[in-house]
Amino acid sequence: MAADASAQITELAMDDHACLTFGEEEELLDLTSAFVRDGLKSGLKVVWLSDGLPQLAELGRRGVQVPPDGGRGQLVTAGCEGQLLSGRAFRADSALDWLSRQVESARENGFPGLRVAVDMGWALRPVAGIEELPKFEEGIAAALAGTAASVLCQYDRERFDPVTLASVAGSHTRSVAAATYHADAVLRICRQYAPPGIRIAGEIDYQAEEALALALAEAVRLGGDVVINLAALAFADARSTAMIADAVHTMAATGTVVLRCQPPVAAGFARLGLEGLAGVRLAADGR
Amino acid sequence: MAAEPGRQAAPKEALDADGQPAVPAALEQDFDAGSLYALRSAVAAHAADAGLSPGRVYDVVAAAHELAANAIRHGAGHGRLRLWTAEGVLTCQVADNGTDPGGDLGVHPEATEWPVQFSHGLWMVGHIADRFTIDHDQPGTIATFTMTL
Repeated sequence: MAADASAQITELAMDDHACLTFGEEEELLDLTSAFVRDGLKSGLKVVWLSDGLPQLAELGRRGVQVPPDGGRGQLVTAGCEGQLLSGRAFRADSALDWLSRQVESARENGFPGLRVAVDMGWALRPVAGIEELPKFEEGIAAALAGTAASVLCQYDRERFDPVTLASVAGSHTRSVAAATYHADAVLRICRQYAPPGIRIAGEIDYQAEEALALALAEAVRLGGDVVINLAALAFADARSTAMIADAVHTMAATGTVVLRCQPPVAAGFARLGLEGLAGVRLAADGR
Repeated sequence: MAAEPGRQAAPKEALDADGQPAVPAALEQDFDAGSLYALRSAVAAHAADAGLSPGRVYDVVAAAHELAANAIRHGAGHGRLRLWTAEGVLTCQVADNGTDPGGDLGVHPEATEWPVQFSHGLWMVGHIADRFTIDHDQPGTIATFTMTL
């Protein structure tokens, strides 16, 4: 089984209080973009709180249709200050009130539901009242009960200490992470959700053949337009390059395939005749 | 287009009478399946040091990797890579040390040779190297490619 989490980001339901743990910013942005995209597509109101990320630019880059002018308030992107935090202080009761007001406001404005994504990175900074974090996470269940709202809390698993992660984990109804086919110090192969496809980072050779075959087979099954994101792949041997090229041939028969890679990796695909193949775009700048 | 390895003599100017580097190797490293990443990293450092562009450094690393992977998968399971530069040419040589991973050396000595079928990997080495040869005269197999600096 490929998925190493109890749920895929695309499977979240109304009133879920999900915990997303991520290992790198790319994974956070990918999964959150999918959460936002699916919410917007279902006509829900979406609120995404994050500090320091170019939220709208990232959504655009990942092919998420952002409604003009936020779609009369359908999409709100903001920082945590003034929403969850007030004067760089955190109080669980105030934050839960804020959440309840969001749920109420979405309902009053005729949205069939609400999705809230919160990057919990603020809790790593010196913020007064941080000890109330578990109380906030615990209170979310009550705030969401009987509503059509879901909350996605995002924790950096490298930066949060295990004690904090464990203390909040029990409050969530689901845990979410990217489906991962292979992960070690040298190589990571995982699903990509926005845009749909797979992402391979690090260095790959024939020793990861089994995981690569599984990832490619699932990408082929996705159908439609697929992005194979190799932007952070520094090396691909002949075997891996040929396997990816074979899968690209198959995918190009039913949709379009974009291969994002660095120039030397792109040269390997060009050598196998992928350049100029109908339905295939070889984006050699890594974007 | 790829040369036909095995049918050409090794690039003699880079080797002495015993098929060893005529100059001391800048890099001499043993490898097996668990150390390919370290091998690639060492080859990249030396190829960059020889003055190759990033794109050609990648080519040298890719070619060295394919030869080492062949020795691991089809030969003894491990081997030794030597890399040196002389007279404007970078030479990379990968030797399978000639012991059979199955332990029946002497019964089927030919089993120690890589079954040099034209896999995509070796085709690629021939495609990107200036010269590429495979020599079966040694115990085991020695594959050598060169890139002009």
